[in-house]
Amino acid sequence: MSDQAQAQSGDLEQRLSGFAGQSSGESSEGPDEVNQAMIRHWVEAMGDTNPVYVDDAAAKDAGFPGVIAPPTMLQAWIMRGLRASQDVEAARAAGTAQGDGPTDRLMSMLDEAGFTSVVATNCDQHYVRPLVLGDRVSMTSVIESVSAEKSTGLGVGHFISNRLDFTDQHGESVATMRFRILKFRPRTEAASGAESTGAPEATARPKRPRPSLTQDNRFFFEGTKEGNLLIQRCSGCSTLRHPPRPACPTCRSFEWDTVKSSGRGTIYSYVVNHHPKVPAFDYPLVVALIELEEGTRLVANVSGIASDAVVIGTPVQARFETFDDELTLPVFHPVDGSDIGDTRTVTESKGAH
Amino acid sequence: MAPGTLYVEDVAEGDEAPVRSHVLTRTDLVAYAGASGDYNPMHHDEVIATASGQPSVFGHGMFSMGLLGSALTDYVGVGNVRRFQVRFAKQTWPSEKLETKIVVTGTRNEAGEHLVDLDVRLHNADGEEKVVGQATAVLASRS
Repeated sequence: MSDQAQAQSGDLEQRLSGFAGQSSGESSEGPDEVNQAMIRHWVEAMGDTNPVYVDDAAAKDAGFPGVIAPPTMLQAWIMRGLRASQDVEAARAAGTAQGDGPTDRLMSMLDEAGFTSVVATNCDQHYVRPLVLGDRVSMTSVIESVSAEKSTGLGVGHFISNRLDFTDQHGESVATMRFRILKFRPRTEAASGAESTGAPEATARPKRPRPSLTQDNRFFFEGTKEGNLLIQRCSGCSTLRHPPRPACPTCRSFEWDTVKSSGRGTIYSYVVNHHPKVPAFDYPLVVALIELEEGTRLVANVSGIASDAVVIGTPVQARFETFDDELTLPVFHPVDGSDIGDTRTVTESKGAH
Repeated sequence: MAPGTLYVEDVAEGDEAPVRSHVLTRTDLVAYAGASGDYNPMHHDEVIATASGQPSVFGHGMFSMGLLGSALTDYVGVGNVRRFQVRFAKQTWPSEKLETKIVVTGTRNEAGEHLVDLDVRLHNADGEEKVVGQATAVLASRS
């Protein structure tokens, strides 16, 4: 990445993080009170035939004051409607959505930066009480967080977490909802020669294989999720070891703790994998043995360097790539200033020890 | 609290809720778009969806969550769900048969209430998981 591109990206990250904590301000009231017609359409769409949603007598038999709304219908009560949605989309496309709330401005900013696609990743609803006919629902929203740029199976993007607070006509809380989306730049390098469409082709991409977690290695993968590269350390003689195992090979102690690696190291050895192609990976795939400056070695992917330009001894730095909700792994990139354009192309790989 | 269809004395870890299954159609997606107010064209406009590289339109995440929600309320009783939390793992596609799997992971007492925790999942006929999450509901007691 050029210094300029890096500066711009840093600037964007700074502007994005400024959205965290911003509220929609005044609560917005849903256009209609909780009503039978909307509930009927919704339960018909869902195929839910529970009578408490449509039959007053059945609802009273079940102990409710009358017909209630289905819990997961929550958001429908505050949707702004088709025309208003289209107006907002048009304004956003025209770049004139600045006067709208923070969420619209955040979405516009990400659109402009090329993160044009969106996918919902998580939804968490808490229900205080069932909504009944005649309730008038209002909502306020807060942008809880905007993540730094993350690599995902869909492409590079930012996770946005919103909290929505729903209240009734008396100002009492009826429900809260956390909603997390990924606003991402669709991958343009389609796999295996498929024509590039700029689409999130990777939506159907299989996940990377899971590590087999044990009581010995679990700390490593939990560490990577937090962006920490941890090394096992013997509590007896302080010798570092990797890969994780129960006993110290030096003093045989079973007691251990961990230290955080700087993530700096050098390429000790590597192979370039061309075949067979496993769909979860991009090829050519550089698999390297990295010697960390702390002294231990680990196997990891190398990125940010052409596969035919990898050189043993190249200084590298760990970054953390999130492949899916369960898997974050260190991927090593050449450190700035290292000569990645080196023409001494290594065509044979040194066997790992 | 509304009378539950399920009593805490009748629930044990590992119990499974009756399975709810549904074959997704484009008509479902159109009906859901109108009923929910979510008009993202990727869910109902085949031309726009395929032009964006998708194989076809695909289901709303909240439709999947709603299917699971129906299976959940069928089991624990409407009005008893306190928390319902999901991760959208995969897109759903027209003509896929979607099935729920809800398993009791435990019961507990909190502030004088009987709560049940459940692992909730929605998968297709090949076992591919579409939605994965947890729910907590309040249960009635016979005592």
